[in-house]
Amino acid sequence: MKNKVLMGLAAIAMVAVLSSCGKKPQAEIDATNAAIEAAKTAEAAVYVPAEFTAVQDSMNAVMADITAQESKLFKNFKASKEKLATTLTLANQVAANAAVKKEEVKKEVEAGMTAIKAVIEENKTLMTKAPRGKEGAAVLEQMKTEMTTIEASVVEAQGLFDKGSYMDALNKVKAASDRATGINTELKDAIAKVKGR
Amino acid sequence: MRNGWRTSLIFAAAAMLLTLIIILMIRFTPDPPVSEMKFARETLSQAGKDRADTYSKKLYTDAKKYYDSALVNWQQQNERFIYFRNYDKVLIFANLSIERADQAAENSINSTSTLKIKLKQKIESLNDLVKEINDLFTTYPLTSETRNRISKGKIVLKEAEIVYKKGQYLQANRKLTDAEYLLTYSYDDATANLRNYFKSYPVWKNWVNKTINDSRINKDYSIIIDKFSRKCFIYLNGVRKWEFNVELGTNWVGDKRIKGDKATPEGMYKITRKFDSRKTKYYKALLLDYPNEEDMAKFKSEIAKGSLPESAKIGGLIEIHGNGGKGIDWTEGCVALTDKEMDVVFKISKVGTPVTIVGSMVDLENIVNR
Repeated sequence: MKNKVLMGLAAIAMVAVLSSCGKKPQAEIDATNAAIEAAKTAEAAVYVPAEFTAVQDSMNAVMADITAQESKLFKNFKASKEKLATTLTLANQVAANAAVKKEEVKKEVEAGMTAIKAVIEENKTLMTKAPRGKEGAAVLEQMKTEMTTIEASVVEAQGLFDKGSYMDALNKVKAASDRATGINTELKDAIAKVKGR
Repeated sequence: MRNGWRTSLIFAAAAMLLTLIIILMIRFTPDPPVSEMKFARETLSQAGKDRADTYSKKLYTDAKKYYDSALVNWQQQNERFIYFRNYDKVLIFANLSIERADQAAENSINSTSTLKIKLKQKIESLNDLVKEINDLFTTYPLTSETRNRISKGKIVLKEAEIVYKKGQYLQANRKLTDAEYLLTYSYDDATANLRNYFKSYPVWKNWVNKTINDSRINKDYSIIIDKFSRKCFIYLNGVRKWEFNVELGTNWVGDKRIKGDKATPEGMYKITRKFDSRKTKYYKALLLDYPNEEDMAKFKSEIAKGSLPESAKIGGLIEIHGNGGKGIDWTEGCVALTDKEMDVVFKISKVGTPVTIVGSMVDLENIVNR
């Protein structure tokens, strides 16, 4: 009788152990998917694309592991759970990294905007000092047109910045800055040449 | 005691039977396609890294769909009793995914490298075009609309170069298309205008040759004004002696048609009067016989054809004068030189000195190739 009771308890314990390892970790899957979705919302695909792809790859691998375990007679999701926990941590990290990178780009755009506005103002002052002889005035007229376009481009960049499209705003600011700096150099060279005569 | 042995024996036999069943179940259960799915996933991931999602979108999407189908099918099979599972479809989908992902990756690498080369060439050719526009049209009176388009085109071209350097080739391609439109449209528009202007080149060439020849025959000075290069050439005995920069009417392209059009006339003229600094506000001036007979005939013909209103006036008082050196075309149609250079021209000129004003002494092809 004592043996029967012991065997019965052993069987119950075994079933309990097997069933505890064999349950699909749906809560962990949902939590990880939510973290990946949060990373996506944080524009991880735009600001840290390689890291975001790595998280997606990791999740795909875990889901395949889980499906593989589901194919088995004795399912064991312990390793999958650990991988899900790692992926969850990674997804949170990627979301945080995306936010940091986005802030960096935002600051870069702001700095670029301040710098280009200063260059535009400087160019306006330099234009009044630039030599006008021998086609100089015609070149200055052309520069004025270009400066108007550059200012319009800065306004467009500001619009993109206000909408939160920092990467696009950055590209625009960089292009406008390049042109404005080019004009600045041309003006300074022309003024220096006249002074050097 | 005997009862205990019997019970233990039954349990042992049951355990052995259970173990046998489990072994048999494990042995004859169909194997899930773990390695194939792993390979499919890795191939798809590699295709993503090769940016097939952007540059070979259709194949990559297909590969992704097949992978998802394989996974869903696998999960569906898992729902069935272990003996009735069949992973054939999973394998088919996994293999299709691998095949498409491979193609997508290869396609993407090829397209990216082709596109990269194409974009680089386009950036170079558009930069050349910008240089040509700068060389040809810096002083050419283009419309403000054309100038704005050129300026916008330059900025968009710069944006394209920035995204190209970041490896965003599709975005670079879109921006280059915009830049190309803005720049080539402006260039074509401006060159069409220029070509139209240069239609008179054979006539100008004859005038120039005759003027130089007359200088040689008469052993005297002749003045030639080249509007396009903005130069004043002074010939003596058919040989070029001086070359000065000039400034013209703000609307210098084309012949003068009416009073107030701010165009500098084209034709073979003569100096009719000389004004020293007491008689002109432009330092010194040489009055030309504009309009001459040819100008009058042309003007009357235009009135008769109705291309000019009857109330139009032909204008006059075209001079070569001082106060130049402003670096821009600013006169009402006259030719302006710096005061220092005007002294030279004033000194060698007399009433009757020929002054030939032409659009250009060099043909357009030579200007473009230069």
